[in-house]
Amino acid sequence: MSEERGIEKIRTYEEINQKIKSGDAVVLTADEFIKAVEELGLEKAAKEVDVVTTGTFGAMCSSGAFINFGHSEPPIKMFKCWLNDVPAYKGLAAVDCYIGATAMSETKGFEYGGGDVIEDLVSGKEIELRAEAYGTDCYPRRSIETTLTINDLNQAILLNPRNAYERYNAATNSTDKILYTYMGTLLPHYGNITYCGAGQLSPLYKDKGFETIGIGTRIFLGGGIGYIIGEGTQHNPQNQFGTIMVRGDLKQMSARYLRGATYNKYGTTLYVGVGIPIPIINERVAASAALRDDEIFTNILDYGVPSRSRPTVKKASYSELKSGKVQINQKEIPSSSLSSNKVAKEIALTLKNWIEQGTFLLNRPAELIPNHREFKPLEVKGREPKVRDVMTREIIVSKPNDDIKDVARTLIAKGVDHLPIVDNEGKLIGIITSWDLAKAVAQDKRQLHEIMTLKVVSAKEDEAIDTVIRRMEQHNISGVPVVDQSNHIIGILTTDDISRKLVRRVIA
Amino acid sequence: MKLKLIYSRENLGKPVLSDVISKTNLPINILEAKITLNTGEMLIDVPAVGEKLKEVSNLFQKAGLIVKEITRTIEIDREKCISCGACVSPCPVRAITQDLNWDVDFDEQKCVGCGICVDACPVRAIRML
Ligand code: SF4
Ligand code: SF4
Repeated sequence: MSEERGIEKIRTYEEINQKIKSGDAVVLTADEFIKAVEELGLEKAAKEVDVVTTGTFGAMCSSGAFINFGHSEPPIKMFKCWLNDVPAYKGLAAVDCYIGATAMSETKGFEYGGGDVIEDLVSGKEIELRAEAYGTDCYPRRSIETTLTINDLNQAILLNPRNAYERYNAATNSTDKILYTYMGTLLPHYGNITYCGAGQLSPLYKDKGFETIGIGTRIFLGGGIGYIIGEGTQHNPQNQFGTIMVRGDLKQMSARYLRGATYNKYGTTLYVGVGIPIPIINERVAASAALRDDEIFTNILDYGVPSRSRPTVKKASYSELKSGKVQINQKEIPSSSLSSNKVAKEIALTLKNWIEQGTFLLNRPAELIPNHREFKPLEVKGREPKVRDVMTREIIVSKPNDDIKDVARTLIAKGVDHLPIVDNEGKLIGIITSWDLAKAVAQDKRQLHEIMTLKVVSAKEDEAIDTVIRRMEQHNISGVPVVDQSNHIIGILTTDDISRKLVRRVIA
Repeated sequence: MKLKLIYSRENLGKPVLSDVISKTNLPINILEAKITLNTGEMLIDVPAVGEKLKEVSNLFQKAGLIVKEITRTIEIDREKCISCGACVSPCPVRAITQDLNWDVDFDEQKCVGCGICVDACPVRAIRML
């Protein structure tokens, strides 16, 4: 970019606000602006339209609220506190806390979390406060149990470290098990695709050079007015994964745009409504605001691979994802959203109305959000045990034609529960458990191949133990054969091995 | 009406379903089937009501199967629903769809009562009836 980022070439913020005050501002939602550009061309549309409004409404886990309760008589320096049994962070002053969206109720678990507490507060519902303290000379009280509503609080401030991802990866599942993830329910064998983000309405994608979005930008937040206070955590704008940190007064917000939610077997979260006005200050901003769903792409990743780097199955546009079906390997896979396209549209429209009515002015950011940020993974230092460190190498294997009764005798003599079946080259082709054998003997079966399980769940020796434990849990099994790249058996890993050799770790 | 048929080891090998189809002349549709070594479960859709349905049910029972009528289906609470779509693509029989305004439509005829959507809904707007 040769020209200065954020240059106000077509119009200035002052000019826009003048027009808003006199009721002359031309404000379009991003959907409407796309149509205007199709009709008038980019240059003309950019000259005519002052502001483009955007919106998104999705699960944003990095969300929460700072709360100040006020002082009781006698006063307390809360050391731990709970709102409706959900623990809030208390590493702050006496009666300040932070309630995070993903904190879960100590009594209801997945059913109720910090996101629900925030929704209930915003709805004006009564909340139970429980706190513990150690008592000090200045704060003698040791515990408190009371109820409160949002009106009783001095401050209730929504402060979300990471919101409004510019776009997000879509998800599918190659395994033969149904998966419950933060990307929702994923059916086996590429049974469906889920995606997030509002595509052509997505606030940050509509100014992807971050020329108007910065510290102090006034926005729609949870149905009230909020502000951007900086880049969000994991901000990665050069790859179109930009994020923002936002703040707003919870007391002005509405439960229509702040909803507690649960992802089955994953955890609790908060759906947050965010809308950003994009002032059309130069043509680059206009071009970004005019991007259509079919020009905004994301990768569909295989969430069947529980790793930081999940393989990409396909690159797809938001128009493909929003159409409800995506082609993968000549098959039509149903796709659906996790964030709400309906509410996203509603937010863009609401923000447009606010500006048209003159109640919402735009402002020049104090500092623009960086358009480049190094994106680092967490390297785990120190050596963590791998499968090879824990597995048993002395293994008993059998051939498909072995006699069941002979095998049963050996298993009992050696006290093992899992018997891998290999071919003449030592390649794994099946497995038998002691339970299968007991059944087979009872049913008078003769040879192993009659009863062996052919679809064997296995592990590789350089895999992390936790990954394999999760795999065993998913398949409800207690041991896996370990194979090399060419499927030769080299060992076996059982829950026994794990609990014996890794005593300090707990297996669920 | 949807029927769940439970096979035991004795009748697993017999062509019970095709017998019933040829006797009643009804285009019975298999929605789901789970067969293991010695038991089996099948969910079928029988396009019939009243006497005809009873006849079908009796034929299966005579063949030694256990027959259960499946009336379970779901209800979406429109007040709670945020039109996200998290229940849409996970539905294995595409009984839930979204219209042009992203509102969800539910086709009771297609629903097999599996409950996947109930768990998939992040705001607990769906319940099993
Ligand atoms: S219960 Fe199962 S079949 Fe019925 S709508 Fe829900 S997901 Fe679809
Ligand atoms: S998952 Fe729940 S909230 Fe989302 S569309 Fe379906 S019923 Fe509505």
